[in-house]
Amino acid sequence: MQLAEPLQAAIEELSKLPGIGKKTAQRLALFLLKGENENVANLLKALHELKTKLRLCARCFNISEEELCPICQSAKRDDSVICVVEEASDVIAIEKSNEYYGIYHVIGGVLSPLSGIGPDTLKIKELLKRFESENIKEIILALNPDTEGETTALYLAKLIKPLGIKVTRIARGLPIGGDLEFADEATIGRAVSGRIEL
Amino acid sequence: MILSSIHLKNFRRHRDSYITFSDELNYIVGGNGQGKTSILDSIYYLCTTKSYNSKTDGEVVSFNQNDFEITGSFKDLTQEEIRIYYSLEENKKHYFQNSKQIFRSADVIGKHPVVILTPNDHAISQGSPADRRRFVDSVISQASSLYLKNLLDYNKTLRQRASLLSQLKEAKNKNSLEQLDAWSEKLAAAGVDIINHRKRFINEFNPYVTNAYKKIMKEEENPEIIYQTINNARTELNANSFLGLLEECREEEIKRGSNLVGPHRDEFVFEINNINLKTFGSQGQQKTFQVVLRFAQFFYLKEKCGKTPIFLLDDVFGELDAFRSGKISSSLKNLGQAFITLTDMANFSFLERSRCDKVIHINKGCVSYA
Ligand SMILES: [Zn+2]
Repeated sequence: MQLAEPLQAAIEELSKLPGIGKKTAQRLALFLLKGENENVANLLKALHELKTKLRLCARCFNISEEELCPICQSAKRDDSVICVVEEASDVIAIEKSNEYYGIYHVIGGVLSPLSGIGPDTLKIKELLKRFESENIKEIILALNPDTEGETTALYLAKLIKPLGIKVTRIARGLPIGGDLEFADEATIGRAVSGRIEL
Repeated sequence: MILSSIHLKNFRRHRDSYITFSDELNYIVGGNGQGKTSILDSIYYLCTTKSYNSKTDGEVVSFNQNDFEITGSFKDLTQEEIRIYYSLEENKKHYFQNSKQIFRSADVIGKHPVVILTPNDHAISQGSPADRRRFVDSVISQASSLYLKNLLDYNKTLRQRASLLSQLKEAKNKNSLEQLDAWSEKLAAAGVDIINHRKRFINEFNPYVTNAYKKIMKEEENPEIIYQTINNARTELNANSFLGLLEECREEEIKRGSNLVGPHRDEFVFEINNINLKTFGSQGQQKTFQVVLRFAQFFYLKEKCGKTPIFLLDDVFGELDAFRSGKISSSLKNLGQAFITLTDMANFSFLERSRCDKVIHINKGCVSYA
């Protein structure tokens, strides 16, 4: 069956989202089509603002509305400790645990030769630069405990330890192969406070 | 552990088959291509999330259909329903235990231990080292979810590292050498875990092999599996000595763009009376060894998992002489639940049958009971 072109296009775009298959995309498109105009307008506005009002923090690459993110701006945070995470969503997960008072650095992924992701693709140079301008005493590596995350942690430890900075890794409280994003807050809290030195 | 019934939808020739089973021996009888092996395969799916004779899940979907579904009712101390749903469009499998979705294979494998004896087993004793590694891995993985996790981790590391090595080979980008060090460290850590686990396993498994030789096949010969891994001649292996070996081979690895050191190159040598089975064993000795390995696996898993495995025998009696077949048949009694495919019941007069056994006929994907 040939669908009307605007419907076809909407389904096409929605199915590009993670976790959305063709069938779900179709359901969402029809739902939006049948719904109030106002709802669609609000959604469009929210998406537009998401893309125009937000950017990456110039220091830690967390999501931010301003040049620096609220965590980097806060005077209450201990800025001698940096927690290194893969994605901004991991910052949200660790913040929810209320166990961490340092600052962050989002490297934007993990080493994966198969996907062509090397050290230059990640914000690793930017992390090393921070050691020159900031007074950093400890690095906590909070990468996912999967194959690539662990290797990236080993790589970072090799780079950072010769600089005389303490390097720890969050304890293995997290399930192996489990995504940090999906771990519950208590688990993350325990993992951050029970970190081990590399 | 008993599989009391199975429901197949769009699974090869089975468009919609519901089959109930005996707690003891189930003879599944039918001509070639009628759908009897599919029943064993569907049971294997329930226990391991995978087919034992198809490379992809898509292959098993019935012709012109979009998905397949297998539902099995297990009874142990409690009743348990396992359902696997696969959709061709998504190319994705969903696994449910009592309607609750399970996401990781390591949470499934070994929960319902299964052993399968098939004519393809000849590859275990006569094929390549990879065939023997696959056998050993399949046994340990059902007994230890930690081993399975380590193995998946190790294999992933191998693929990533091979990719980096071939990038190094082409680009000669020396900047990546630091990254290679990190992957080597990961490989060594994961590899040592695999090697130590395999060592322990072979030591534990050998007595089961010896026992099965005597008790099942009633042979006086002396079987043994010998584990050959890296660093055989040297002292106790640890992550550091593994890293040392990687260091020695670094240039060669980059030159070839592949992983040259690690348990992915392990070999398991089968011997009878200290003589290499693969090179010097007779056809009969080979067959006996293959059968013995599966019985050893059965008793090993029974002990390790604390559950009696389901035993699947695919077209085994057609392959074996009446003498060996008779011994297998009598050993199956009182063992637990077994599923045996046969092309024709009439040809197997040596089978020892009991009242509780069930004969299930399969014809063009349709089920009838004798
Ligand atoms: Zn920031």
